[in-house]
Amino acid sequence: MTPGRFIVEHRQETRTVEVSSRGEVVVEGREAPLSVTAIDDHAYQVDADSRRTRVFAAAAGETREVFVDGRVFRFDVVGANDRRRAAAGGHGDQPMAPMPGTVVKLLVAVGEHVERGQILLKLEAMKMELPIRASHAGTIAAVHCREGELVQAGARLLDIEGP
Amino acid sequence: MDGAVVKARREMFRRVLVANRGEIALRVIRACREMGIESVAVYSEADARSPHVAAADQAILIGPPPAAQSYLDIARLVEVARGAQCDAVHPGYGFLAENPAFAHACADAGLTFVGPSAAVIALLGSKTAARDAARAAGLPIVPGEKPPRQTNAAIKECALRIGLPVLLKAAAGGGGKGMRLVADQSDLDEAIDAARREATAAFGDGTLYIERALKEPRHVEIQVFGDSHGHAVHLFERDCSVQRRHQKVIEESPSPALSPSLRDRMGGAARSLVQSVGYRNAGTVEFLLEGTGDNATFYFLEMNTRLQVEHPVTEAVTGVDLVRAQLLEASGMPLPWTETELSLRGHAIECRVYAEDPAQDFIPQAGRLLCYREPRLPGIRIDSGVVEGGEVSVYYDPLLAKLIATGETRQVAIDRAIAALRQYPVLGIRTNVSFLVSVLSDHRFRDGRVHTQFLDREAAAIIATEEQLPVPDEAFAVAAAATGRQSHTGDAPTATVHRAPDPWVTLEGWRQ
Repeated sequence: MTPGRFIVEHRQETRTVEVSSRGEVVVEGREAPLSVTAIDDHAYQVDADSRRTRVFAAAAGETREVFVDGRVFRFDVVGANDRRRAAAGGHGDQPMAPMPGTVVKLLVAVGEHVERGQILLKLEAMKMELPIRASHAGTIAAVHCREGELVQAGARLLDIEGP
Repeated sequence: MDGAVVKARREMFRRVLVANRGEIALRVIRACREMGIESVAVYSEADARSPHVAAADQAILIGPPPAAQSYLDIARLVEVARGAQCDAVHPGYGFLAENPAFAHACADAGLTFVGPSAAVIALLGSKTAARDAARAAGLPIVPGEKPPRQTNAAIKECALRIGLPVLLKAAAGGGGKGMRLVADQSDLDEAIDAARREATAAFGDGTLYIERALKEPRHVEIQVFGDSHGHAVHLFERDCSVQRRHQKVIEESPSPALSPSLRDRMGGAARSLVQSVGYRNAGTVEFLLEGTGDNATFYFLEMNTRLQVEHPVTEAVTGVDLVRAQLLEASGMPLPWTETELSLRGHAIECRVYAEDPAQDFIPQAGRLLCYREPRLPGIRIDSGVVEGGEVSVYYDPLLAKLIATGETRQVAIDRAIAALRQYPVLGIRTNVSFLVSVLSDHRFRDGRVHTQFLDREAAAIIATEEQLPVPDEAFAVAAAATGRQSHTGDAPTATVHRAPDPWVTLEGWRQ
């Protein structure tokens, strides 16, 4: 295991994690180190106190996905000395098409104020209607799609400005 | 039918075309292999590397990814079946499984369709005709009608006459597509538009059927089987009350709500429908159940003229092989079991593992399965159609796998399902695995007190509770350790990384 110090971010929670070459891992906020053993490309064995856990990990783009005990966590991980900061906020908050689909209903217009969770438009994909909601409150600054349009996965649909 | 055809139909098939994809195609291919029947898989361009293609004796490309140009192309499928000299076609579920035109086209081409006759599929596929048939067979029916004029005004008037809450349904199909529950008059217009749009997209027919919505009903269905020798049996019930927008999520048998006498009555009712319409092969009679125990009332909902997604639940508690029985029956043999030979033992629960994001309204997910490992535990069966490294495409149903847990009691089956899901890593695509664990752990589910609206009302709260749970230190530790390991691309893991050979991992089934 490559030793190093990492900043590991999960939503609002950020912790510094130190990995030693022997697989000893110190997680900020926890006294005793954990022992991590790589089993294969994705599987790890973690020994903590008297508990042994099988953990799985994979890199999905910039995100590190980790499976523990039936739950999946998505982390942003950067080296502690790495100047590049984990992407936080910015364009990631703008409504995007989660999958290719057709815009069947556009429910907002430029200049309109929207609340967090409000349905902005409806996509149809896989014969189902998918509501696209505002991830934060704000004003619609731009609309990048129209009704009836086929949009690709990841396409930015609207811009929401400010709170 | 001439003598030669009758004779041929009494012999087991030599080669079967499996007109489907994913886990159900694999299920049928494996049953064929077990019975010494050759299997022919079909696939679209999106599925060239799918497991069902590799599992069959041969596989034939049928068209581009959209289902309408591949898995729904009747002419192409019949042509391929004839070209490959198949003698039968198994439709699986979904796609063309309940399409009378497909059953008809197969019969016309001299292919045995594994399922009921085209006429019976057509009869039971029409909601109105099916209700009439059920009523004639003495089954109780939920009040409802199909407005002859399909304008919004006419549909509204009909809904108000029946009395809110009502269910708007696609008259042409099932599976929850186009279905809307409306409790408030002011929501009617929007619901009618949305239901019509979905019905048109899914079935090419926007005609709506309006039905009185029952109060917190359970969905309890009876597995039935008929043959060409006049035999009809039922194989007990499956309780599919855990649904999200009318899509089943968790199914189990026996139902926690059925008393033995109610089970007998419902089973008997389902069997009498099989007898009265001359139903052959596997089918499911769906009921809604209001109340529990001996005082419960059941209503005929619809009959599915095919193998169900959740058939393994019945297989687990009765010990039969439904796909094998389908192939035997279709070849002209009598049913392999009589009603008195069938019994219900233990408890089984199926959890559907979907590529979807519970945190975002369960939006279907697509992408590559970076890590996919199925648990191997006592009492666990997994029927899946995907492998690690495989792509999940946007074109088809987001079902990845079905996990079926069996135990001597309901509590044991629940505990086993939870334990197995906790050891079922799927990375690269968001799934409902943790959501399934939360639902199985919910005291209302454990107490057997859920109904068909349970998830629609409670899913958001269940997800919110789950998101409050702390992130384990192990997750932070591995996130960092895995990054350190792979940040220098091309580097082999350093010598200090201990690699333990692990049969749990190396014996894993499909690997690409």
